Amino acid sequence: MRPENYQAQSHPPSHEYELNFGPNHPGIEGNYALQVRLHGDTVVSAHADGGYLHRGFEKLMEGRLWIQNIALVPRICVPDPVPMEVCYSLAIEDISGLQVPERAKWLRVLQLELSRIAAHLFYFGGHAATTGMYSPSFWGVADRDLILDRFEELSGGRVYHIFNIPGGVRRDIPEGFLGRVSALLDYLEARLPEYDDLLFRNQVFVRRSKGVGVIDQQQALAWGVTGPNLRATGLGFDVRRDDPYLIYNQLDFEIPTEDSGCCWARTLVRRSELQQSIRICRQVIAALPDIGGPVRAPIPNPLAWNVPVGESYTRVESSKGELAYYVLSTGGEKPYRVHVRGPSAMHAVQVLEKMVTGGRLEDVAQIMFSLDACPPEVDR
Amino acid sequence: MNGEVGRPISRLLADVDGARCERKGDRRVRIDATPENLPAVLELLKGRAGYLHLSAITCIDWMDDGEFELIYHLWSYEDRNLVSAHIRIPREPGVYLSVYDLFEPAGFFERDIHEMYGVFFEGSPDQEKFILTEWNGPPPMRKDFDAEGWVQGTFQWEDYRPEWLQEIEEKGGGIAIKPEQARANTRKIRGWKQ
Repeated sequence: MRPENYQAQSHPPSHEYELNFGPNHPGIEGNYALQVRLHGDTVVSAHADGGYLHRGFEKLMEGRLWIQNIALVPRICVPDPVPMEVCYSLAIEDISGLQVPERAKWLRVLQLELSRIAAHLFYFGGHAATTGMYSPSFWGVADRDLILDRFEELSGGRVYHIFNIPGGVRRDIPEGFLGRVSALLDYLEARLPEYDDLLFRNQVFVRRSKGVGVIDQQQALAWGVTGPNLRATGLGFDVRRDDPYLIYNQLDFEIPTEDSGCCWARTLVRRSELQQSIRICRQVIAALPDIGGPVRAPIPNPLAWNVPVGESYTRVESSKGELAYYVLSTGGEKPYRVHVRGPSAMHAVQVLEKMVTGGRLEDVAQIMFSLDACPPEVDR
Repeated sequence: MNGEVGRPISRLLADVDGARCERKGDRRVRIDATPENLPAVLELLKGRAGYLHLSAITCIDWMDDGEFELIYHLWSYEDRNLVSAHIRIPREPGVYLSVYDLFEPAGFFERDIHEMYGVFFEGSPDQEKFILTEWNGPPPMRKDFDAEGWVQGTFQWEDYRPEWLQEIEEKGGGIAIKPEQARANTRKIRGWKQ
């Protein structure tokens, strides 16, 4: 709601008061707001208020060509754009029966995992900042920048790569690229102990986040929690393993879980995922030189491409949880319907409202960041 | 396990009149249900087959048929299978039952569909506006809402020629666009009547 349209309501005398937590608040993630009702420092009720980032992507996509939408989808989630491109491309390939070349699949996995590492590094900084520690955000953003350098080398774009298209990827990797990514992974792995010292073994952070925002497995399943947040409650579910896409069933990786379901557990799960993503990237780098062939399947003239009649519900595991696209084609040049199911659609609205209620005001920001809620996925 | 998943579902649905089930892929099953039996189908899937996770509810506007299609995507953590249950409801009055009592995530999706398509879900806990707080027009995701036409009718194209640009243009530089060449005049907007 715009400030000029806000009308203060008078309530009967009470010890409770209302606080607008966001949209301009250092503790809120992105452009988002929570209207919390407080009694002292205790949150009595919370009401999520979105729409500050609504750009109407689903409507826009109905009016654009299949290939034009590739430029739109990464903008739905800024910190983790690659899963958006891949998921949309997978849906079109599923409908039209395109066979993606093997090399393109491996290249997509490399990007997906690099994007996951970048998103997690971004997330740690934000989460630490909500507990008053600002150094991890500088470190995280600085290290994420090195990943963005590789993406820039690959695609020309740092944040929005638009590198995955239906049928494969745009072009093959430049010469020496794998060596540079390998060196980057070595560097990131060497940095992990330093992150441990700075954040994960730091008693200020541990005591501040342990036991805060607890959610048990039954609640998590009932509320539709997915991704690292679900794995922090002890259920080892991952779309990459349980509903495999691309070549994830050929890769060797573990799915880290934690049992306590608090902010600290969610952080630890993501910390372990960094190592697993590095491990996956190394496997891709080792395997890629032996996989030859083209990097994209021939597609019809993209400006006059009538994708055959069909529908597809495609899911991938983004850094935030289960990301799904429902794509429906009626045989036209443009999609008839594209529905984006971002993981944060659950985490940032219903789950957040319920988790914050009964907690304390100073934990609101931390709980939101620990869920890794991404408001643009909610607003679309 | 993959090949066997479809069979228990079809056995489960044998008692429900008018529900058809069809395997679409390795881990995808499509169910065509009717508005009357969908709550029973969902309840069977959740209670007897372990489909605990409501992944999404999708709404599609079939304007020419005068219908809305609602699709309930359910995932089973045990079977590792995704079921999409399709129903069609009349576009007018566009009312259906909420499944919030079965699946709590439905609350958000129903609120979103109510806002974007104008479908009212009876029994849904919260159907207040969420994203389009200040929008009073028709539900924008309906196919008969022309977004570009609305923009053309609501906002004006403005000629952006600040003083510094005019000075450059007087010297012969810049990118001078004559009024008749401006985008708003040359471009015909489909479906929009001035």
